[in-house]
Amino acid sequence: MTAKISLRNVSKQFTVRPGKGTAATTLTAIDSLNLDVRDGEFLTLVGPSGSGKTTLLDLLAGLSTPTSGEVLVDGQPVTGPGKDRAVVFQQYALFPWRTASANVSIGLEGKGADGRKLSRRERAAKASEYLKLVGLAGFEDRFPHELSGGMKQRVAIARSLAYEPDVLLMDEPFAALDAQTREQLQEELLRIWRATGKTIVFITHGIDEAVYLGQRVAVLSARPGRLKAIVEVEIPDRDGDEDIRSTPAFVEQRHKVWTLLHDEVRLAQDAGHRKILPDGSAPDEPATQETRERSAA
Amino acid sequence: MSATLTKTARALGTDAAEAAAAVGQGTPPPVTAKPATAALASVADAFKGAASRAGSWLWKATGILGFLALWEFGPLHLAPPSTRVFLPPLHEVLQAWGRLFESGSIQGHLAASLSRSVLGFGIAVAAGVSLGLLIAWYGRLNSVLNPLLELFRNTAALALLPVFTLLLGIGEESKVTIVAYAAFFPVLLNTIAGVKTVDPLLIRAAKSLGLNSFRLFQKVILPSAVPTIFTGIRMAGTASILVLIAAEMVGAKAGLGYLIINAQSSFLIPDMYAGILTVSLLGLGVNFLLVALERHFSRWRTAVGA
Repeated sequence: MTAKISLRNVSKQFTVRPGKGTAATTLTAIDSLNLDVRDGEFLTLVGPSGSGKTTLLDLLAGLSTPTSGEVLVDGQPVTGPGKDRAVVFQQYALFPWRTASANVSIGLEGKGADGRKLSRRERAAKASEYLKLVGLAGFEDRFPHELSGGMKQRVAIARSLAYEPDVLLMDEPFAALDAQTREQLQEELLRIWRATGKTIVFITHGIDEAVYLGQRVAVLSARPGRLKAIVEVEIPDRDGDEDIRSTPAFVEQRHKVWTLLHDEVRLAQDAGHRKILPDGSAPDEPATQETRERSAA
Repeated sequence: MSATLTKTARALGTDAAEAAAAVGQGTPPPVTAKPATAALASVADAFKGAASRAGSWLWKATGILGFLALWEFGPLHLAPPSTRVFLPPLHEVLQAWGRLFESGSIQGHLAASLSRSVLGFGIAVAAGVSLGLLIAWYGRLNSVLNPLLELFRNTAALALLPVFTLLLGIGEESKVTIVAYAAFFPVLLNTIAGVKTVDPLLIRAAKSLGLNSFRLFQKVILPSAVPTIFTGIRMAGTASILVLIAAEMVGAKAGLGYLIINAQSSFLIPDMYAGILTVSLLGLGVNFLLVALERHFSRWRTAVGA
């Protein structure tokens, strides 16, 4: 199989805004990371908090550019967001003033790949096609505030699929859902993946989720994020009806990932690393003297 | 797989469209099409609903009715006769209002006030929204204009009335200008706030969908800011009437403010109260209209059951 996505020596640094009396410092979120994602692969990505998972996803989506190194999709460097990639966010990011149908069709409102603009009717038809795919037929006219968390995330997934990207980038999409809904959506995602053959990069902090969904699990190190290991998930008879989470093979793979991740999580905890926001700030980071004074003021 | 999906979805779509068209064409309302018993039941239900609505309406009106009763009977029975001259009971005020209405003078004053406030308010909304969008979009413009705007905003509009009168005379221009000035700031500040408080996640999502800056503005920032902008517009509506009445009291030959102050100085006290009553009703009406408008544009923001 060919590499759909290639990360070549990718580093990303943020400039942390200077505090009172301190000069601006740089924060390295990702350090010379190399990773290939195969065409049509389901790759899950785990790592401790602050290991640059979301940063990596932003780079893949083209929402930010690497400080050094290259991000290639189909051999072409990523220069910005594109219709070949779609992002699903943890907090759904639906447009609350649009109905489910209008949310799904927003990516279709511009000119398509063939330079043709879809009519309103064609867009609506396409939206209901994809809402049906995610199990929400009949919910076209509902506004996001009328939907449950799981349903919102289904709409968000439909929105990402509607303009037919090759790659689906998912940033902890099920983290805010209850366990039952999450399990249900995991199954559906696998079904959709098999049906559509998309390449999926799925970020999670759940080891179970990573092993259950991924063909391969990429483990990132504590900050600065490097690729620590890639685990090939080999579970026989995955597509069966059996509860694969309780099979010995699953438990074994899960333990493998857990061991890899465990040291890194402790490292990250000791260093007090927290989530880095998209603008490069890490507001929960243990405060230095200056920042503490500032927040007290 | 995808092809079959598309087919079924299209079939579904056309079915729905046809059904909608059929409903649209059926001119008689669906209620009459029901069997007679069902229609009777629904009429009974509607009557019950109306009765309970009327009950709650009556309950809500208690405060107002109590106040009106106090206004009517207080001056007659509680106050000394000398006060009655300055505080005529309600029926005298209503009689005065009737007389003013018959002579057409209240309509004239109302029209004068309305045309001034609508014109000033319109200018303020147009200028406030467009400048607000510009300022919010261009950060540098904001840092230049913000201190200046703070200065103007915190200068009471009425303090500038003499300036407007000197520059623009005592005619319509000065009054329209001061109304526009007073209504401008709520619109401007709420527009800026509305644009600035757009959820950054939505902007990220829109960018990941490949929207360019213009489309981002048109499809995400503007719709997301609309409810906040309308809050500003509602505040501006209240401000415009407030300032207009005061301006008309100072120097005008028509308008509700002029009616009130002129009646007072001519010692036509019931006429004065008739003017005040009209101002209250006008304010209520304007607010009602703007609240309805605001609610219409923020429907998506109200949560279920709220």
